[in-house]
Parts: sequence; C-alpha cells; structure tokens
Amino acid sequence: MEVLKATFPHLAHLDIALGFLYPTLGVDIVPPPPISKKTIELGVKLAPQNACFPLKVTLGNFLEGIEQGADTVFMVGGVGPCRFGYYGEIQKVILEDMGHRIKFVLLDHPRYGFRRFLDALRSMTGGRFSFIRAKRAAILAWRILRFTEELEGYLRDLRARTWDPQQLETMVTQSLHRLRQVSSPVALDSLCREVRGEISLLPKDNTRDHLRVGIVGEVYVAQERRINFDVERLLGSLGVRVHNSVSTVEYLLHALPFFKSTEKLEAWRLARPYLNRFIGGEGIDSVGSTVRYAHQGYDGVVHLYPFTCMPEVVAKGIMGEVGRDYDLPLLHLAIDEHAGEAGLVTRVEAFVDVLERRRKFGRKKLGVGG
Amino acid sequence: MKIGIPRGLLFYRFYALWKTFLEELGQEVLVSPPTSKPIIQQGLTHAVEEVCFPAKVYLGHCHFLKDQVDMILIPRVVSFHRGEYNCPKILGLPDLTRSLFGIAPERMIDDEINMRERGIVGWRKGFFSIGQRFVTSERKIAKALEKAETAHRAYRDSLRQGILPETVIDGQPPLPDHAEKVLLLGHAYLASDSYINMNLIHRISGLGFSIITPDMLDQEGLRRHLPGRTKPSFWTMSNEILASALYVLREKPSAIKGFVHLMSFECGPDSLVGELVGRWLKRDKHFLPYLKLEIDEHTGEAGMLTRLEAFVDMMKWRHGSLESHLSASRPS
Repeated sequence: MEVLKATFPHLAHLDIALGFLYPTLGVDIVPPPPISKKTIELGVKLAPQNACFPLKVTLGNFLEGIEQGADTVFMVGGVGPCRFGYYGEIQKVILEDMGHRIKFVLLDHPRYGFRRFLDALRSMTGGRFSFIRAKRAAILAWRILRFTEELEGYLRDLRARTWDPQQLETMVTQSLHRLRQVSSPVALDSLCREVRGEISLLPKDNTRDHLRVGIVGEVYVAQERRINFDVERLLGSLGVRVHNSVSTVEYLLHALPFFKSTEKLEAWRLARPYLNRFIGGEGIDSVGSTVRYAHQGYDGVVHLYPFTCMPEVVAKGIMGEVGRDYDLPLLHLAIDEHAGEAGLVTRVEAFVDVLERRRKFGRKKLGVGG
Repeated sequence: MKIGIPRGLLFYRFYALWKTFLEELGQEVLVSPPTSKPIIQQGLTHAVEEVCFPAKVYLGHCHFLKDQVDMILIPRVVSFHRGEYNCPKILGLPDLTRSLFGIAPERMIDDEINMRERGIVGWRKGFFSIGQRFVTSERKIAKALEKAETAHRAYRDSLRQGILPETVIDGQPPLPDHAEKVLLLGHAYLASDSYINMNLIHRISGLGFSIITPDMLDQEGLRRHLPGRTKPSFWTMSNEILASALYVLREKPSAIKGFVHLMSFECGPDSLVGELVGRWLKRDKHFLPYLKLEIDEHTGEAGMLTRLEAFVDMMKWRHGSLESHLSASRPS
C-alpha cells in the first residue's frame, strides 16, 4: 500500500497532536500552512457564498495543503443538525469540480454505511493497523492536545495579571514549539513539569481584583484566534482575566463513544430552564455556560460564533433572557470574512468599559449593556 | 380552550393534521391570518437579527396570536423522518419564542415530536403528550390522532395533485395547468406563502409555465434517488429538495424545462444544498436553466421580476420559441 500524503483542517493547536499521531500510525502528513489572509481568500472564493465561515477557512486549508503536495484530505463528518456534518460533502464536490485528483477521506458516522466508516478509519490510520501501537500513540497525542489547551489557559488567565505579558507569550510559544519535538510520555512529562514551574514563578499582580469575562460560542470560532482577531489577547490587554468554556478536548471527548464530557453535561443541565434540548453544534453549551458564568460571578460573557451559524443564532436569542435574569452583560460577536478588526476592537473596548463602570458604580445603576 | 396555530414554517406541512387533531380533542383552533406587512414588521422587531426570514415571519405570527388565544401551538418537531433532523432553528423554536415574547410555559404547547430514533413510536408519543393536556382518555387521543392522520393524508394527496396549499387552506382559485413546467425547489414555507415570495408562483404561471414542487412528487419514490455516491443531508426537507433535483437530472422528464431554487438568505441548509444542486446541474451535459432566487426582508420585487423574466426567456430560447418577456426589451 502506498503511503498517503494527507492534509487536514486546522483547529487551534490540533495540528501539534495530529503531527505526532499520524506519522506514528504510518501516514505521511502535509500540514496546511498556518491560517492566513491567503487561506481565507482561497476558501471564500470557492465556497458557497452563504456557507458558514469555518467551511470556507477549512476549504482554504485543504487548498493550501494540496498546493504543498498533499494527495489526500482527511475530514470528519456528522449527522447534524448543524451544517458542520455536511462540510465534507460540499468540499469534496468543490475540489472535484476544480479538477484536483485527490482522495477525500471523510470519516463519517457509521450510520452512513459501516464499511465506509471502517474504510475511512483504516485510511486515516495508515492501513497497517496495530491496536497496541495505535492506542499508545493516541493516548500520547491526546495528552499533547490537553497540554496545548493548558498552555492556552495560562495565557488567558495570566495575560492581565503578569507584569510582563510579552514574556509569558514567548514562554508559551517556545513551549508549543518544543511540544512538536516530543515523542515519548517521559519527554512530555518533563516538559510539562518544567513549563508549569516556569509559569508559576512569573511575577504576578495580585493587588488588583481583575474583571473576569467568560467566552462561549461555536467550537471553531471561539478557539481559532487567527479567525477571531485574538479576542482573548485583546481582553487581556484591557486588564481582563478570561476563561473559555469551549475546548477541543471536551468536544472530542463528547464525540467519542462511551465517554461523556462532565463539563458539557453540567452546561446542558444548567441550560435546561431556558433551552431543554440539544439543537446541534454548541447552541445548548453556549446557553448553559452563560448560566454557569453568571453563577460564578463573572462580570460579562463574550459570545463568539460564525455569522448565520444556526444553533448559535438560536442560542443568542435565548441568551438574552439569561442576561436579563442574572443581570449579566453579553457581547455577541459574529465572525465572517467581512468582519473588520477595527469595529471588533471598538466593541470589545466599549464592552470592557461598561463592565468597569458597573463594578465602580454598582450593577443596578447601569442597564444591561453589551 | 382557544388554541393558536402560527401560519409559518411547518404549518404548510402539517396544517390539516394539527388542526384536525386539536379540533377532535374538542378545542377551538385559530390559525393566524395570511402573512402581511404588519405581521412581518412584528417579527422583524422582536426576532434576533440573524435568524432566517421565514423564522422571523413565524415569530410575527406568534406575536399576532399570543394575546388572542389561551394557548399557542409550537411543537418541537425534532424530526418527522427516521434518522433525519429538522434544522436547529425549528428545534429551538419553542424556547426562542418563549424567550423573545415572555410567554408563560403553561400557555405554550411545546411537546417534542421526534421520529429520528424510534420512528412512528416517537411520533405517537409526541401527540399523546399533547393530547394529555386536554383529555385523560388515551383512547380518545388515539382516535383523534387517527382522524388527524387521515386528514393529513388527504391534504398531502391534494398537494401531490398539484393543488397549492393556499388553494386548500384559504380557498384561493386554482391556477391554470400549462404543458411546460418548472421545478420549484425550496422549502414549503417559502413556496407556499405568496406574500413572502412575492407571488412567485402566480408570476411563473402568468409567464406560461406551471410549477412542480417537491410536495407534488411521490415522496417515497423520490428517496430512491438519494443514496449512492452522495451523502444525503440530515435535514428532511433538504433531502426532499436534493432528491427532487436528482430525480429530474436522472429521469429527465420532458415537461420540465428549468429549475427555480427559492431560498432565504440566512437559511443554513439551503446555503449548502443550493450549491450542490447548482454544481450537479453544471456537470450534466444538457443542463437545464437554473435560477437561484434568494429572498429576505430586503428583497425588491422589481429585481426579482426581471430575473424571472430573463430566466423564462432563457428556457424559451433553449426550447426554440423565444418571445422576450423582459420588460426592458418591450416596446413602450
């Protein structure tokens, strides 16, 4: 069997984990270049005009990966009702119509044919499938992914609190870079220990009670900072401690059979008085996480989603009621190729202003802004 | 009790079923009037900006009804076909309406109707839980559901014969039958509401073509066209659209001269399904003219008419019987 040269879509730091996993399984990979203006332009030009933004960006990833020599595309599907499950089908047809002779491996739900599912799984694991080796590799890849999210968490929480945010960013970037070289559990453990130690030694500003803002929204836009204009960093630079309720780890965990993400289940329980059913995507998580942030006494919630995202638009309507009930300011940011950075920055700055004033003059004196 | 049914979204599918079911249970039913400017205005004022146009219209109907009835029927129709879904907006509709208008939970019939996993069992379960709000006897509910299903089949049969929903529901005069047809792809709530679609069907008829909608084709037969190389979508109504397009592409019925795809601007499923249909058509060697009409609250009537006339010219030109309909080319 010939070795596939596969490319895949970017999602935050997923490429680091996959960059370890695939070669171990015997698949050559061509990671797409980091998401750039060009990626977005390529995707926007070819994708359906009214499709949601992540479809366009991931299509751009595939095209750039193919440009770099990939002959196979790995994509996952789903059973709906959110549009994400149908991305692969559309992207495949678009690439075919462009005349690319590539293999499109769509890992879909076994509902669409169990053999097709197994075939896709086999292609994605390099054909020569050894359960023990695959399991070992998958566990380490999983831990690498979890550590990338831990690093991101430090950034969110500490940016506003450390005296030198630049130093923190450099440390995280370097750690991510070193993480790419990790090839054994022992190496990962020692790297984790070292990084955690370094970060705990950073001088922090504990004199001030910082504003706290939670982020909810669609899994792709809420995490991919090359798309969302790095809202977390902007908030950090305005002196806000940020927590992001969206996580690839939790998302994948929930998609796996026999596992359930406790964090998601809790959010679903909290959402019940407002929305008592799964409506696809992260709609119900957004509502539930907003309620949780309200309970935890956060100062505000930023809602990030692709423009026209179906579950998030429903969630947006319902979150308004949550905001009124708990007197919690919300900022909804819809992102697509037309979103401008200047407008977004202005809105976030105004939002933080409102939060600061509410702290200063007491909550009830100002209406729910955002 | 007086129960309101908003005229929008799935109403055009389940009109007879819902109405008969509630009336058989001894309730008075009030259907909101045909869509009008004030109704749309209420929907636009209260809805979330980015929700699709048909949902905004639906919310306008809910606003119209909410103070005139004791209860309002907004069932959570998760799925009316095994293994498939409705779009997230329809799934979240009861919660969205409640949040936006502050309707008390006991004034809303929002029971879940879900055939996705358990097929007919899930269907019955949904209607039984609606029925139990009014009567205690399960036999009575079963009888009402049976009558409602009979009415539903009769309604669907008359649609299949080419009678438009507005003819059945409001007794509007039927349209003349032309030999040449246009396949009108699009959700029933766009195609059937002549206020939203700016009288599209009447205009096409005036230009000498009859329309065929997915509702007029045999549903079970259509679904045979779905499997194969393409992955079916997971939205029931989108699958009906995809299957209708595939049926025409494969069987090539000679009466059908072109495709009009009516979609709403912010519709998620349409944005993907429309692209697929357009690409399939282009791959076809003798591809039929295809007109994609996107509508929302900002759509102008004049622009739509011009495009429609150009499209009809295109079909006639292909057919060798061109006599321009373009307003601009007519001598004044």
